[in-house]
Amino acid sequence: MQATAAEAASPATAGPLPDVAPAPRAQRATWDARSQRILFGLLTGIAVVFLIGPTIIVLLTSFTATESLRFPPQGYSLRWYKALLDADQMQAAAWNSLIVAVWTTLICVVLGTAGALGIARSASRLARVGDVLFMSPLILPALAFGFAALVYIHLLGLHPSLPLLVVGHVVVCVPFVLRTTIAALAQVEPALFDASASLGAGRLMTFRRVTLPLIGRGIGAGAFLAFVASFDNVPVSLFLADERTEVLPIHLWQQIDTNLDVRTAAISGVIIVVTIVLMVLAERFAGLSRQLAR
Amino acid sequence: MVAITMPRDDEWPLALPLAALFVVCFVAPFCVLLALSLHAGTDARAFSIAQYAKFFGDTFNLGILWSTTWLAIRATLVCVVFGYPIAWVCSRAPARWQSVLVFLVVLPILTSVVVRTFAWIVILGREGVMNDVLRALSIVDEPIPLLFTETGVIVVLAQVQMPLMVLPLLATLSRIDPNLGDASAALGAGAWRTFFRVTLPLSTPGLVAGCILVFSACATAFVTQTLIGGARLVYMPLHIYQQAIGANNWPFAAAISVVFTVAVMIVIYALNRVGGTSKAYAGDGR
Amino acid sequence: MGSDVSRRHFLAAGAGAGLYALLPAHARAQSKTLVAATFPGTWNEAHRNLLAPYFRKRTGASVTQSIQLATEQIAKLEAAKGGRPPFDVAILDEPQVYDAAKQGLIDEYPAAKSPNFKDLFPVYQDKWGPKISLQVIGIGYNPKKIKTPPTSYDDLLNPAYKGRVGLTALNSQLGMAFLAELNRIKGGNETNFEPAFKALKALLPNVGAVAANLGAYATLWQQEQVDIAPYNFNFVQTLKAKGVPVEFVVPDTGLVGWTTSLHVTKNAVEPDLAVAYIDSHLAADMQSEMEKPPYDIIPTNSKVPLTSAIMQTVAKTPADLSKIRGFDWTKINPQRTALIERFNREIKL
Repeated sequence: MQATAAEAASPATAGPLPDVAPAPRAQRATWDARSQRILFGLLTGIAVVFLIGPTIIVLLTSFTATESLRFPPQGYSLRWYKALLDADQMQAAAWNSLIVAVWTTLICVVLGTAGALGIARSASRLARVGDVLFMSPLILPALAFGFAALVYIHLLGLHPSLPLLVVGHVVVCVPFVLRTTIAALAQVEPALFDASASLGAGRLMTFRRVTLPLIGRGIGAGAFLAFVASFDNVPVSLFLADERTEVLPIHLWQQIDTNLDVRTAAISGVIIVVTIVLMVLAERFAGLSRQLAR
Repeated sequence: MVAITMPRDDEWPLALPLAALFVVCFVAPFCVLLALSLHAGTDARAFSIAQYAKFFGDTFNLGILWSTTWLAIRATLVCVVFGYPIAWVCSRAPARWQSVLVFLVVLPILTSVVVRTFAWIVILGREGVMNDVLRALSIVDEPIPLLFTETGVIVVLAQVQMPLMVLPLLATLSRIDPNLGDASAALGAGAWRTFFRVTLPLSTPGLVAGCILVFSACATAFVTQTLIGGARLVYMPLHIYQQAIGANNWPFAAAISVVFTVAVMIVIYALNRVGGTSKAYAGDGR
Repeated sequence: MGSDVSRRHFLAAGAGAGLYALLPAHARAQSKTLVAATFPGTWNEAHRNLLAPYFRKRTGASVTQSIQLATEQIAKLEAAKGGRPPFDVAILDEPQVYDAAKQGLIDEYPAAKSPNFKDLFPVYQDKWGPKISLQVIGIGYNPKKIKTPPTSYDDLLNPAYKGRVGLTALNSQLGMAFLAELNRIKGGNETNFEPAFKALKALLPNVGAVAANLGAYATLWQQEQVDIAPYNFNFVQTLKAKGVPVEFVVPDTGLVGWTTSLHVTKNAVEPDLAVAYIDSHLAADMQSEMEKPPYDIIPTNSKVPLTSAIMQTVAKTPADLSKIRGFDWTKINPQRTALIERFNREIKL
C-alpha cells in the first residue's frame, strides 16, 4: 500500500510535470509539519514544567532555614528534616500507612492475579461483567464508597480498624493489578500454554513455569501501583481510618489545613524522594513505563 | 500487537475469590448506602424519598452538584489541551526518551496528592511564585488572588490528574499504524490535515478513556478541592463529608453520595457513547 | 532470573514486615498510647511541642493528638455514643461543654485523682472538666499595610480596606464569637441575630476572603491576602512568631472571650492516662511554658504569674481576667445550626 501510494504521488512516473509544482507543495508540507512540531513541542514543554515544577518547588522549600513557606526560601538548612525525627505522631501515622499498604498490596496481588487469569481469556458475558465490576472502583467516586463502607461497618456492629481499612483499600487498589496483569496476559502467545499442556505439565506447573515468568513484570507494575495508591489513599481512609488508626495522608491533610508548618514540606520531601527511588526500582525490575503506556 | 486468543472458559473459578470480595465489600455497601438514603430521618424506619426531595428541592445543593460537574469538565478540558501534546510527542519519541517522558508524567501521580496540593499552596499564594512570575512577565500589575478561587482549583486539578489523560492517550497513539500517517502524507495531506483527519479520530478511544478517568478523578478530588478551594467553595465531596462527619446526618449524606455517583456515571456513559461511534476506526477489535 | 529473585525477595521482605507489625505482641512500641483531641493553630503546636513530651516524661506513654474543632468532636462523640469513643480526651469551648454534659458524652472530672486541680482559680474548677485557658478576640491587622491601628470593629467597614478584610466560617468559635459580639454591639441579643447579619452584609464588599477554618485563615495572613480581621489574641502571637506581619488590638468595645476546657470522654479506653494528661496541662510549670511566646496561652493556674504580653494587651492581674465579658451560650447554642446555614447562604463572595 505504501509503495503504490508513493508511486502514485511520485512526479517521476506522472509524466512531464513542470518543476515548479512540487516545490510549493513540499514547502507547505514542511511548514505544516514544522508548525505542528513547534506547537506541540511548546505545549509539551509547558505541560512538563507544569507537571514537575510543583514537586521541585516543594523539595526546595523543605530546605528552608526559616519558619515560613515562602519560595524561594530565605536560607537553606536541614533543620526541618531533623525535626521529623522528633515527630512521633507523624512517624506513627507513616508506619500505619506502611503496614496497610503492604497488606493491601499482598492481597491485591493474590486476588488480582487470580482474577485476571479468570477473566482475561474468557469470552463469556460473565467475564465481561466481572471486568466492568472489578474496574469500577477506578471510576466511581471513591469518597462515596468510603462513606458506604463506614455505614456498612456500623451496620455490622463493627468499628473502624486497621484490618477493615486494609479491606477497603484492597477494593480500590486491586483494579491497578488487574489492569496491568490483563494487559500482560494479552501479550502472551497462547500457543505457549498449549505447548506446556501438551508436554504434560499440570495447570499449576504451567502457571508457575510459563505464565508467571511471562506476566511477572505486569504483576510487579500493578503491585507497585497498588502500593502507592494505598499509601496515598485519602477518600477511603477519610472514613475508615479514625483517630486511633491515623494514616499519613490524612495526618498531613490535617496539618496543612490547620498549620503553616514547614515540617509538612520536609515530610513531603521524604515522600518525593522515596517515590522516585521506588519508581526507579519499578522501572528497573518491572519496566514500569512500558507497562503503563501499553 | 494483540494476539488473537482462544477463549478459555474453564478458568473463571479463579476469579471467584475476587468476585466474592467485591460482592461483600463493594456491592453490598453501596446497596446499604442506597437503603440508608431512603430513610426520612435519623430514626425513621419507613422508606421515603424525603432525603432526595430535600436535596433536589434546594438550589444550594443543586448548585453544588452543578459547580462540581462544571469544575470537573473544565479541568478535563485543560488536561486535554496540555495532555494530548505530551502523549503525541511521547509516542513519536525514540524509546529512551519515551521512558524518561513517561517517568516524568507518572511521577506527579505517584507522589502523594496531599504533597502536590501543598506545593500549589506555596505557589498560588499572593506573594507566591505564580504571582511573581506573572508580574515579572508583566502580564499583571497587581498580584491576583489564585488561592481559594475556582481558577486555582482547576489549575491544580489539571496538574494533579493530567497523567490519567496522558497514559491512555499514549497507549492508543502508540498503537496507530504508522503506515496510515505515511499514506496520508503521500496522498498529499499536510501535517495538520493528517492530524485532524487521521490521527485524532484514531486516538479517540484513548482520548475518551482519558477524559473518563480525569473527569471522575477531578469530580471526587476531596483533598485538592478543600485545600485549594478552602471550604467556602463547597463541592460534592466536601458536602458529603460535612453532612456525614460534621452534621452526623447519615441519611442525607447517603442521598448526596448516591446522587453524586449517579451523576458521575451519567457523564461517563455520555462520554462512552461519544467514543463508541469511533471505536470502529481503531480497529483493535475490542 | 535476576529480576525474578529480587522481586520475590522484595515481596517476602514486605510480607515479613507486615506480618511482624500486625502481630499483637509487637504491634506497637511497648508503651501505651493515649488519643486526645486538640484544637488547630496555637493549641495544636503547644500540645505537640510542650504537652506531649511533658506527658511522656510523667507517664511514659505517648499521645496521638487529633486536630478537630469542638463542634466536630461533639459530632464524632455523638456518632460513637454507647460504644468506644474515637478519643479519650476532648477539648471543648464553653458553648460545647453544656451540650456534651447534657448528652452524656463526657464524664465528670475525677478531681481527686488530679493533684494540680486545686491550684486553679476556683472559677475555673468546673466539675465537668477544668478550664485550661481563656481565649479573647479583638482585631488583628497588618502593620505594614495599615499605618494607623484600628480602634473598633466599625473600622472594618472603612472603604480603604476593600477586599482586604477576612472572616472565618461559623464552625469555628472565633467566627461564632465574632458574630455574637457584632450582634451585641449593633443592638441585638442572644435571641435576635438580625443586627449581626445586617452588619455582616454591609461588610461584605470589604471582605476579601472567608476562611473555612483557622488553618486557611492563617494561610490568608501569611500570603498577605487579608490585612485586617477579627482574630484571637494567642493566634496572632503565634503568627507573629512565624514572621508574619500582624498585630493584635483591643477594640474600643472591649475584649470578649470564652473559656476552653479539657474533659474525659465517656467509655474512654485509657481513663487514667486521660486524667494524667489533663492534670499535666494544669501544672504550674506547664502553664508558664505555654504562656510564653509563641503560644501566649492565658493561664488558669493561680500560681502562674502573667507575662508582659498578656499584661500589655489583655489584663493586668488575674482578677481582671475573670472580668472579661462572655456570652450566654445556653441561649445561643440551640440556634447554632440555623445560624451556620444562614451564614453559608448569605455571606458568600
